[in-house]
Amino acid sequence: MDMTGRQDFARRPHSGRAAGLTMALAGLACWAPPASAAGEGAAASPPLTAPAMVPMGALNGADTGWLMVCTALVLLMTLPGVALFYAGMVRRKNVLNTLASVLLVACVVSVLWFAAGYSLAFTPGDGLLGGITRLGFAGLDPDWAGQRVSVSHMAPNVPEAAFAMFQLSFAVITAALLVGALVERMRFTALLVFIALWTLAVYVPVAHWVWEPGGWLARLGALDFAGGTVVHVNAGAAGLACAWYLGPRQGYGRVAFEPYNLGWTMLGASLLLIGWFGFNAGSALAADSRAALALAVTHLAAAGGALGWLSAEWLLRRRASLLGLCSGLVAGLVAITPAAGYVGLGPALLIGLMAGAVCYWGATGLKRALGADDALDVFGVHGVGGIVGSLLTGVFASRSIAGVQAQIGTQLLTVLAVAVFSFAATGVLLWLTDRLVGLRVSDASEQTGLDLSLHRERLG
Amino acid sequence: MLDSERLAVAAHVHVLLRRKTGRVTDTEWMACNADYAREVVRFCRLRARQDTLPELGEWADRLERAMQLAPAPTPAPPGLAAISAAQPPQPPGGAERYVGGIR
Repeated sequence: MDMTGRQDFARRPHSGRAAGLTMALAGLACWAPPASAAGEGAAASPPLTAPAMVPMGALNGADTGWLMVCTALVLLMTLPGVALFYAGMVRRKNVLNTLASVLLVACVVSVLWFAAGYSLAFTPGDGLLGGITRLGFAGLDPDWAGQRVSVSHMAPNVPEAAFAMFQLSFAVITAALLVGALVERMRFTALLVFIALWTLAVYVPVAHWVWEPGGWLARLGALDFAGGTVVHVNAGAAGLACAWYLGPRQGYGRVAFEPYNLGWTMLGASLLLIGWFGFNAGSALAADSRAALALAVTHLAAAGGALGWLSAEWLLRRRASLLGLCSGLVAGLVAITPAAGYVGLGPALLIGLMAGAVCYWGATGLKRALGADDALDVFGVHGVGGIVGSLLTGVFASRSIAGVQAQIGTQLLTVLAVAVFSFAATGVLLWLTDRLVGLRVSDASEQTGLDLSLHRERLG
Repeated sequence: MLDSERLAVAAHVHVLLRRKTGRVTDTEWMACNADYAREVVRFCRLRARQDTLPELGEWADRLERAMQLAPAPTPAPPGLAAISAAQPPQPPGGAERYVGGIR
């Protein structure tokens, strides 16, 4: 381990989440009592290592406002971004079920997050899991009488409630991405049970490993600015497990599964693009130059991704498609996610272009090779794109931007650890859910369509 | 139309077909699956013509309205009927588009 890099880490933490510690030092200096004759030379307050109550005056209003806006943007990515993106791609008879599934996931994860998920992910514990100080919706209420508010050690410049909500939006979209792998054949009750288990048993540990400073991968120096591994590799591997365990849909590989409305998919992709500014730029946890950089590289990588996919599709099929452009856009966004705070504009464009082309293969050739009915290519786009982006972060992360030297080996280890754990744990949870409530709808229900068979509703 | 009303129409068609033609149908499936209902409507009309059963034709019409089926297409010329029945509507881009993947 490069000791210089580790020392730099202490001054300018490389994790997107921990970048807030830099702002914290500035913030804490604002409320520290002015030096008196007796107090001159007294040491500044040490940085927080756990959530703590601080004077409300210590908060940064601009950062707080920015983080709350970003939270809304990331939630918009799920509702209705992912919902429209997915619903436009499924068959007509399953559109309402797809929309309902995404909404259900958002609600279930939201409750579980504040009940247990946030504490276990983002409070100090050990290398594998966080603590219990925020269990049961505890600890986020301000002390109005004392004019004090709780802040996280990871973002001491903003109220902890804002930080927890921002992290919630990531937990929600990660779980929502899984819907794309299991659509058109999963029981609604099973989805509820499975997503609840998955959020607590898979997402929470992975988030802790990579983002909380005490997590074992964070301590190794893993670079993941906004969720290349935590969100996309995680969801991709889990999606592949879902596709394999559930089995293919009736008629898969023999019958054409015509998308209901690719116009909806484009609307959803557009909402994803705009919301991703909150996803990446918000991960700076401050309204500062790193956030501005993340904003710019995110957009450039998205454009590169769309063009990269378009190029591959043109070369191999002699045509461009709307679905291809939308998919490439998302692929570029996925790939830049781990790198957004660490790379410049030129590398960002390269990352996008490469991800677009590679994810085209992920959703076509690789999908056929794997043989699983990953209905909406969660692994092919999010999994493969997250892997590409995480590894390229190791290649292109600039020491002058990130503050530390990227390690390809550490990035590879992080990708493998998250992917293997997610895949295996998801398989176990699917088995458990199957035993508890049964996973798959009946053949007749699948043939009728889940809108009617599960919800007694139709598009009209 | 409510699901219960649709089911009631399907049940009546089921009983008529059973009594007049001996054919047994799946009532619940008829009430929720458009393709199956369309085929039942076709069969009812065929037997209504062949066996002079106007009541069967009337209930075929009711089932068609209940299930909001498109009016039955003009019968294809002999020889082409078998071909058109065997080939489902193809998605844009040819028969292989959206088979085994949407991208």
